Amino acid sequence: MSKNKKPARGSTPPAPEKGYTLSRRRFLEGLGGAAGVLAAGTIPAFASTLPNTTESGTESSVAPGGENVLERIIEEDGAINYPGKPVYYADPAGKEKWAMVIDVKACIGCRRCVYACVKENNIGRDSGFTYIQVLEMEPGSVDVESSVLDYGEGGDPDKWYMPVQCMQCAKPTCVYGCPVKATWKEPDGIVVIDYDKCIACRNCMVTCPYFARHFNWTEPSIPANEVNPKVPYKEKAGVVEKCTFCIQRTRNGATTACTEACPVGARKFGDLNDPESDVSILLKTRRVFRFKEELGNEPMIWYVG
Amino acid sequence: MTVTDVSAPRPGVKRFIGVDFDFGALKNASPRYWAFVSLLGVLLMLGGTAWANALAHGGVVMAMRDNYPWGLWFTNYMYYVGLAAGGLVVYASVHLFGAEQFRPLARIAVLQAGVLVMMALLGIVTDMERPWRAVWMLLTPNPTSPFIYTGSAANLYMIICFVDLWILITGKGGEKLAHRMTLIALPLAIYLHTTTAFVLSMNKSREMWHSAVMVPIFLTSATASGVALLLISAYILRRLGVVELTASMFRSLSTLLATVMIIDLFLLLVEILSVFWPTSAMPGHTVRLALFFNSPYAWAFIPVLVLGIGAFSLLAPRGTRHLPAIQITASSMYVVAVFLKRYSLMAMGFAINPLGQYTPPYLPSAVEIFLALGILALGLLIMTVASKVLPLRMPAHDPHEGHSHGVAEPAAEPALASGVVAP
Repeated sequence: MSKNKKPARGSTPPAPEKGYTLSRRRFLEGLGGAAGVLAAGTIPAFASTLPNTTESGTESSVAPGGENVLERIIEEDGAINYPGKPVYYADPAGKEKWAMVIDVKACIGCRRCVYACVKENNIGRDSGFTYIQVLEMEPGSVDVESSVLDYGEGGDPDKWYMPVQCMQCAKPTCVYGCPVKATWKEPDGIVVIDYDKCIACRNCMVTCPYFARHFNWTEPSIPANEVNPKVPYKEKAGVVEKCTFCIQRTRNGATTACTEACPVGARKFGDLNDPESDVSILLKTRRVFRFKEELGNEPMIWYVG
Repeated sequence: MTVTDVSAPRPGVKRFIGVDFDFGALKNASPRYWAFVSLLGVLLMLGGTAWANALAHGGVVMAMRDNYPWGLWFTNYMYYVGLAAGGLVVYASVHLFGAEQFRPLARIAVLQAGVLVMMALLGIVTDMERPWRAVWMLLTPNPTSPFIYTGSAANLYMIICFVDLWILITGKGGEKLAHRMTLIALPLAIYLHTTTAFVLSMNKSREMWHSAVMVPIFLTSATASGVALLLISAYILRRLGVVELTASMFRSLSTLLATVMIIDLFLLLVEILSVFWPTSAMPGHTVRLALFFNSPYAWAFIPVLVLGIGAFSLLAPRGTRHLPAIQITASSMYVVAVFLKRYSLMAMGFAINPLGQYTPPYLPSAVEIFLALGILALGLLIMTVASKVLPLRMPAHDPHEGHSHGVAEPAAEPALASGVVAP
């Protein structure tokens, strides 16, 4: 969203690009900063109340408070409501901080990621949802209100496409909203659901701003030869499920099914703690934005255009 | 009449935990009474069948889908919890503000509040695919979820209402304990409606609900619809001879109702105005609230405004406010209006999902409707039986002596009672 080359200290924030109006946010941050001064009465307090979340996270993009944005997000992207036992169908979390970068300029809207994801994650074939939803956007704005979800197969070269799935937010409203802690953030940042605990109140679906959570209104049904034995299947009946960054693959060193399936290489998946990973290099060198960043969920999927 | 009327041992009266259950009254009940009870029984059985169906087949038998994760059960939760408020406000005003004219209503008000909250909670239980998992709410509650607060408040409130009823009937602890119970119950009622509103308003993902005015709107809608329902049931119970109430009590109730109504309407208009005003309009919010007027949801929402303003206009003129017909019409209009308001508020918050995709209106499926009817029938059944069996008449402290003489027994036939009581 921002100019990634050395914004001078103390200068006004870079002007937002089209489609994202951040002036109100800036104003509120200013208010927050002022409140911080009043509350703490110290300059460090003032600085810490100004998290510059709109920066892209380049090495030179130093927030007024003097902290590296990306480091802060990596720091925040930790376990929340973690019950201490890893999900039973995957290895325990390692030191990684998983993130994804999606190139919306490259995406052609073919939905191959959607199909690969359905197969990999045992999504019921007649359950009526997919983890990934590819939105067809009109040129000229990032406006989901006028986006089309059920566009024709193959995609239109005159439109652009924005795949949306669970963002594995650093501040996940779904995890905050679950009344029984049946969903949590693993130490490596992946948000998972305990299918044997979910009480089906569906509050997480209401609190998620990305419409990433889906309920199994019917028992998932999959042809016997297509069932992935590494992923829960029948226990998903009557509970909520969502994208897990293919936890069963990525914890074993593989990449996600959607990244693997993308024919144009629009998806990059990797570890933010590894400075040589695709995602780290992309976030350092490219201008990126995050979907609905103004909500402050700190999504861990970035878009690059 | 005196206390002995209800506590003197008569055939069929069973004393249990200090309360005289007058089962003998059921024996003398009219055929009409039993016809009504059996109608409720049939509805209750249909509801049970619907629940069994839902448990067997899962959520697919409901009309809810990912775009509408909550349905009629949540509308009813908000609605019933709101209706329960009125009872408590009236009961509390007797003790806190010395509104003695409401005293004869106290037992009915508290019973009605408890039954309504029970119905609200049953709606949640019957919606769950695996109701036994609700135990996790107690074992691992998540303090950042509004559900925890509204759920625990509703349970607590229901218990307090039934304890209150018991205290009022047995007279244990006297006036002092009744007064102290109000000091607990009234803040708890406000807390319950506030946390219920939080379930909707604490969502930055849903623009339409993400407004702090939801809390006061919930409080006023709850109080207005609750007082309106109490007024209606007071008329019904007076006609059936269960209690005797004065015209001045109804007049006070109507004045209270009109006041709360206009605050409720005012808050609604403030919200609409601040969403659409050019300097405050945000696209995500306006397109969703515009559904009130330009989508099929207009069929649910325009009546909210018409009925609401109509009900207030009926009650506003002082000259006609005392007329029972005016009071009953206005109350019924508002009880319906608040239901439609809850429904359209809930459903329209979902109509455009967070990815901007519009889905056609949510209309409950047959299973959901029968479930809701079953729960409603259960509530009505409890009230119907209680009106015969429980001593709902307030025995003492009635300042309107003139009206309390010569009234039939609580167990009397409706025809006889209405003949005596009806003015």
